[in-house]
Amino acid sequence: MTVMNFVYGFLVLLGVFIFQTTLTGLNRKVTARLQKRYGARWYQQFLDIFKALRKDSTSHGWVFDFGVIMALGGIMATVIFIPISGFQAFPGLDNVFVISYLLAVGMLGMAMSAAGSGNPWASIGVARALTNMLAYDIPLMIVIFAMIFAYDSASLSEIAAMQQGMGILGWNAIRMPLGGIVAVIALLGMLGKKPFDSFIAPAEIASGPMVEYGGKHLGFMFILHEFMTFIEVALILNLFFGGGATIWEYMLKYAILYTFANIISGVMPRFKIDQAVRYFYRVPLAMAIVQGLVVILTGLGVTIWF
Amino acid sequence: MNLAIILAVTVLMAAASFFITRINKKAGGFTTVLSSLFALAALFFLRGSIGEDFAIFYFTFSITTVGWYFSLVMVMAYSMTSFFNPYWMEKMMYPGSYNFMYLLSMAGTIGMFFAKDFITLFVFWETVVWSSTFIIQLGKSRKASYVYYVISAIGSMATLFAIMLAYSVSGTFVISEAFAGLSGGMAIAVFFTFILSGLAKIGIFPFHVWLPEAHGSAPHTFSPVLSGGLVKMGAFIAFLSVTAFPAYEIFGDMFKVFGAPLPIYFLMALGAISIIVGTLMAIKQEDAKRLLAYSSVANGGYILIGILMLDQVGFAGGMMHLINHAVASAAAFLAIAAVAYRTGTTKMSEMGGMIHRMPVTYLVYLIAIISMAGIPPMGGFVSKWLIFQGLADKGMIFLAAAAFFGSIGSFMYVFRPLSAVFLGQTFTRDLKKKEVGFFMMFPMLILTGLSLLTGVFPNIFLRVITEIQTSIGLIPVTLAENTIVTANGFLDAFRVFIVFGFGFAIAFVIFIVRRKSTKVELMDTYTSAEFIHTRELLHYSSKFYAPFERMYGNAPDTMTLYKKISVKIRELGGLAESLFYSHKPEKTVFWMMAVGIIVILIGGVV
Repeated sequence: MTVMNFVYGFLVLLGVFIFQTTLTGLNRKVTARLQKRYGARWYQQFLDIFKALRKDSTSHGWVFDFGVIMALGGIMATVIFIPISGFQAFPGLDNVFVISYLLAVGMLGMAMSAAGSGNPWASIGVARALTNMLAYDIPLMIVIFAMIFAYDSASLSEIAAMQQGMGILGWNAIRMPLGGIVAVIALLGMLGKKPFDSFIAPAEIASGPMVEYGGKHLGFMFILHEFMTFIEVALILNLFFGGGATIWEYMLKYAILYTFANIISGVMPRFKIDQAVRYFYRVPLAMAIVQGLVVILTGLGVTIWF
Repeated sequence: MNLAIILAVTVLMAAASFFITRINKKAGGFTTVLSSLFALAALFFLRGSIGEDFAIFYFTFSITTVGWYFSLVMVMAYSMTSFFNPYWMEKMMYPGSYNFMYLLSMAGTIGMFFAKDFITLFVFWETVVWSSTFIIQLGKSRKASYVYYVISAIGSMATLFAIMLAYSVSGTFVISEAFAGLSGGMAIAVFFTFILSGLAKIGIFPFHVWLPEAHGSAPHTFSPVLSGGLVKMGAFIAFLSVTAFPAYEIFGDMFKVFGAPLPIYFLMALGAISIIVGTLMAIKQEDAKRLLAYSSVANGGYILIGILMLDQVGFAGGMMHLINHAVASAAAFLAIAAVAYRTGTTKMSEMGGMIHRMPVTYLVYLIAIISMAGIPPMGGFVSKWLIFQGLADKGMIFLAAAAFFGSIGSFMYVFRPLSAVFLGQTFTRDLKKKEVGFFMMFPMLILTGLSLLTGVFPNIFLRVITEIQTSIGLIPVTLAENTIVTANGFLDAFRVFIVFGFGFAIAFVIFIVRRKSTKVELMDTYTSAEFIHTRELLHYSSKFYAPFERMYGNAPDTMTLYKKISVKIRELGGLAESLFYSHKPEKTVFWMMAVGIIVILIGGVV
């Protein structure tokens, strides 16, 4: 652990922020075209963030501020651990469990800050967000668990590297087709895309956790959202779509995956939160368990493959 | 320091505290603090004499690493909680008996963990059960102590039966030799009856019903001990039943499920069920202490699964979860007790926004739940990580599914008291409340520090666990300087912590350089153009996860089932009573003769 690690980490953060925010901007345009609108300019997302950071804000006490900092801090630490086409600022710390639980620090910070605002809408939103997490995470973790058993490794970069070199046939999404479907559905849940966006539901619970934020707090939440999106998409990309041998391949695959999720979201209505739980615990959970048993008991897709 | 002296001093101090409390209540409370701190320090220095054997009267003891580890965790829970005792003496109905029982049960746990033979173990075990039963009685409800005692008694009697059964084969009560020579059906019978008291104590489904009752209504100063300490006695029995009773060897040629023999896998599955039941029930509780009690059920499941794996990684995880949960759960219960000390309630719907009145207590609770939910950089994460790695090594997919469910579900339930008690609107009644004094804050801060220490430098604790693993003939978990290495990857908790600090620092700098925000009142929020002036109405706390609870709200409750069974048994008893005890003597005589004749007939046939 040297100073260079931290410099690399900072550069990763900067690069990820620029890349993901641009992509979000472009996807706003995609969504607009789906809805037959012209859409905002591609750099509008940057403008929104910097404008929010520049404005005056109100605070509801120290936990409101502290939670925001803790959220962004935790999420940024998680981004640093994500391998980007084999590159890691802190090599060897890309354990799946570390990443998925470190992500929870950020989420806890955000939930804490939102509930600390004293607005009931925020608490309702947090309650829904946590319920949503319980819904999508179990099927996804079962598939990942089987994958760790099969590959004898819980390292994101190693799992990604093992899928490379065989073209599309090497991808876990193809090797474990049911698991791949579960992963993409879970990705929609993780990103809070429709149909699993009941926890932010703008027209219903006034944007849920976000209701009290303004000014720099809102700017923080925007940045946080970009980073969180990156972690979630990159997690699925590395685990199921082989990461990327080069940075360009990685970015291209990433953009396609994210845009795909966004397009699905664009044409979907919204599930109520209990419907989302019911949905995840029926089809995806069953698929995940079948896939897990196949991989663990027979090795089909991992040890038995072309 | 000799163990005999520790035991003798603790028992004597127990008796002394009873009389001191008669003279001065506060002084009696301080006696428990001093004696338990003395026991903690003395036990710590007992490490040098590991391997020694000795006897007091008929009781034989042997100082082992595992006993040392367990007793240290236990006495830590006792000593930290004891700091609250002096403040609760005024509210206690029988303070003298409370102090006496408090120290006596502590002495019982110490003796139990170092017992060399089963009779010693059983005597000390029962000492703990009896004395804690009387403490629970001093709390909110008498019913709780009945439930606690009945479940404990079922377990204790089963274990006593198992010991006798094993004695009939091996002819000895010494723990390391008592189970020699068991095989076949006898081995299965001994195994399941023996571990029953462990399951009952640790709160494994279907014996989990006592935890919410006892933890929920015990005096606030005893719940942390119950959850942080006493349930760990069950883990010790589970430990004995896979090591002293070499379950993996005796059941070695039985049908194996994912590498574990069927009887052991069955118990692990019970652990997994406890995780799910504990999580689901915790989510829908309205009382903070009951909620934490159900979380102990779930965490007990993790500990049981970990210990029963008896391997390199998962076992270390189970043993480490023991201390992590003890620390986190004691801290969380103490934080709730501190709030109850000021507000007089533990109902979540009757509180709110305590963070503005008690910020330190809030931070203690926050760190405790981060550890309990298994989020880095706290200790709970390291032990859950080890358990997950152990499960992934063997491919135990169903247990892992339950473990994931419990882990994510714990985010839901631990957030509830955080949000309902500490965050949100402060109730008008509580606007003038103050933070607790330093003497009560001190143990909470120590426990918070321990949570962080176990999370950032887990190897300090794992080194002891590797010694335990070596002593029972396992391959110890591989430790490098700051790193834990497993077959599936490694964890460098210290670096994770540093990177988290790095991220936090960047966020902090960005926050500081931007314009300072205006502070506004908590009531000054967006309410969709409604005018709400009552703080209590603007606080969302009861039925927090209503849509989720509704999905399983009508599922049968275990306690209801037990109540139904008890009604049936009472009816059966009523039938017998009506036959034998009626106003007509001839009827009684008839039935007595009838029963007598039937017994003689059956005896003649046999």
